[in-house]
Amino acid sequence: MVNSFDIIPKYWYNIIPDLPKPLPPPRDPQDAEFSRIDLLRKILPKEVLRQEFTIERFVKIPDEVRDRYINIGRPTPLIRARRLEEYLKTPARIYFKYEGATPTGSHKINTAIPQAYFAANEGVSHVTTETGAGQWGTAVALAASMYDLESTIFMVRVSYEHKPMRRTIMELYGAKVHASPTDLTEFGRKILKEDSRHPGSLGIAMSEAIEYALENNYRYLVGSVLDVVILHQSIIGMESINQLEALGEEPDTIIGCVGGGSNFGGFTYPFIGTKRGKKYIAVGSSEVPKFSKGKYEYDFPDSAGLLPLVKMITLGKDFIPPPIYSGGLRYHGVAPTLSLLVKEKVVEWREYTEEEIYNSAKIFMKTQGIIPAPESAHAIKAAIDEALEAKKTNDKKVILVNVSGHGLLDLSNYESMKNRVMKK
Amino acid sequence: MSKKYLVAYMTLGYPNVNDFYKFIDNIEDFGVDILEIGIPPKYAKYDGPVIRKTYKIVSNNIKNYYEILYEVKQRIKIPVVILTYLEEYVDKLGDFLLKLKESRVDGVLFPDLLIDYVDEYEKYVNLIKNEGIKTVLFTAPLMPDDLIIKASKLTDLFLYYGVRPTTGVVIPISIDSLINRIRTMVQSKLVVGFGLNSIEDIKKAMSVGADGIAVGTSLIEEVDKNGVNGALELIKKLRGVLDEY
Repeated sequence: MVNSFDIIPKYWYNIIPDLPKPLPPPRDPQDAEFSRIDLLRKILPKEVLRQEFTIERFVKIPDEVRDRYINIGRPTPLIRARRLEEYLKTPARIYFKYEGATPTGSHKINTAIPQAYFAANEGVSHVTTETGAGQWGTAVALAASMYDLESTIFMVRVSYEHKPMRRTIMELYGAKVHASPTDLTEFGRKILKEDSRHPGSLGIAMSEAIEYALENNYRYLVGSVLDVVILHQSIIGMESINQLEALGEEPDTIIGCVGGGSNFGGFTYPFIGTKRGKKYIAVGSSEVPKFSKGKYEYDFPDSAGLLPLVKMITLGKDFIPPPIYSGGLRYHGVAPTLSLLVKEKVVEWREYTEEEIYNSAKIFMKTQGIIPAPESAHAIKAAIDEALEAKKTNDKKVILVNVSGHGLLDLSNYESMKNRVMKK
Repeated sequence: MSKKYLVAYMTLGYPNVNDFYKFIDNIEDFGVDILEIGIPPKYAKYDGPVIRKTYKIVSNNIKNYYEILYEVKQRIKIPVVILTYLEEYVDKLGDFLLKLKESRVDGVLFPDLLIDYVDEYEKYVNLIKNEGIKTVLFTAPLMPDDLIIKASKLTDLFLYYGVRPTTGVVIPISIDSLINRIRTMVQSKLVVGFGLNSIEDIKKAMSVGADGIAVGTSLIEEVDKNGVNGALELIKKLRGVLDEY
């Protein structure tokens, strides 16, 4: 009998030692007037920074963090989507890892917990971060409350206005939530001066959260893109490997959606690094076309340029997503490790439109009952396409997809998608 | 046990040509095994603010770098390795190597060779070696194991392992974990550098198997604070630490 204690890994996995090529290092810009790399020491909790730059294949998960993982219900379920298989009449077997099962409704909590734990250990009293849809903000608000830290969340204004429920949850956990751009930071005031009705973006909110942390000597928790985040998220993939082995299954195609890349990396890297699986598909949105239109170059993760340059597939740090679009995955860049794996063709990419992912979400609701996050519906769409492809060739392959979150707090997104799709 | 390497870095002609000569005239006696000399690049991609500042000063003051390099080789016997970025010379590498050869320097280290030119690095290594110039390869924790293993077989003198993302900025890291990861993979001498300014970190590095250390920023900080003599004193102190292993 396999119990949950055995399924949760004791180590996080870092793919960097197993990448096909060197990961270009973070850099200070040419002729920089200050060192961003130096500034990191004031931005991130020390242990988070240490993990970011102490590259080892396996990193022990502190016992206290592992206990918290268990306490929030890890391991998350690995469910065979039998009804979806039947509906599609596919010979493929489809399994999904359900990260929506955590209390905050997404995978984001997997890194919020260790980061908050490290911050609290270092005597930090207050953490800041940004959030778009509110999944990351919620995760930080909960993790901060676990360790008695205060938290301030800069929420992209357009989401702040359309997502009052997420705001409520963050506030219930004890966070202070501001609509970014705010007038609390220099960068926010600069943006507001140019456009007082600016809808905000993740890049802007990120810069504000960092600036606010620097100003007050708080620390900033980072939700995606950096290697340390994907390291923490590797528990998703490590658990999945253990769960599949318990079922005697070997995966063929492994699929995840990509905002900044953390759920995808956390889910697929343990498979890629150990050569499990044959095909890995990263799914983005056609409305935020990072993969098809982005460039692979050094760019800032945040709009103000307070963090070091990193080499990634990017639409540019000042990218603003289309105003009428509810599908999530709005971040302008792709994590450097994932960008490299895409460039090296180890990972394939797909992009789908809002309408396509809306229809896939509905199929998933009808067959599996779960309302997926609009983000995760991108991965589900790719899984459905792969399953239909398998039908043509009677391929009994095993498709594995990460459902990174539930959509119970994204009903307004589905409402507006429904209206747009119906109008067509 | 063989002697541990103390590799000293100094920007060419810093802080001025006279003091620079005074520095190199003494380093052998103070226990330096290999001298690295930095030629100012347009973009010091992996350098922190301290070394970047020296490049600015030097490039404003000095016209002919190669004359000085030639003079350096007249003054000291230890190997001299030039450190600069390939990006700037990639289109005129033959000329550059010829100038290095005429200056009689022993080797060259391009920090960006295995990062930005990884697809063709073996070609460049061969080009350099064919000129009779030693190639010190630069590796870092962000490189995959396979590449570090290959580089350790190709490198001359030693393999450079830069443990932090940029020089001189003391990002918190576990030096022992980083070295433990690669020690058994590296067949050549392993010299560790980037932000090694604490004796504690240096001792950690040596105790898990480093064959030497490279120091630069802390020497420059000494020069700025206490002049060349300060930097030489630091070298003496570091030599003492390495001689314990």
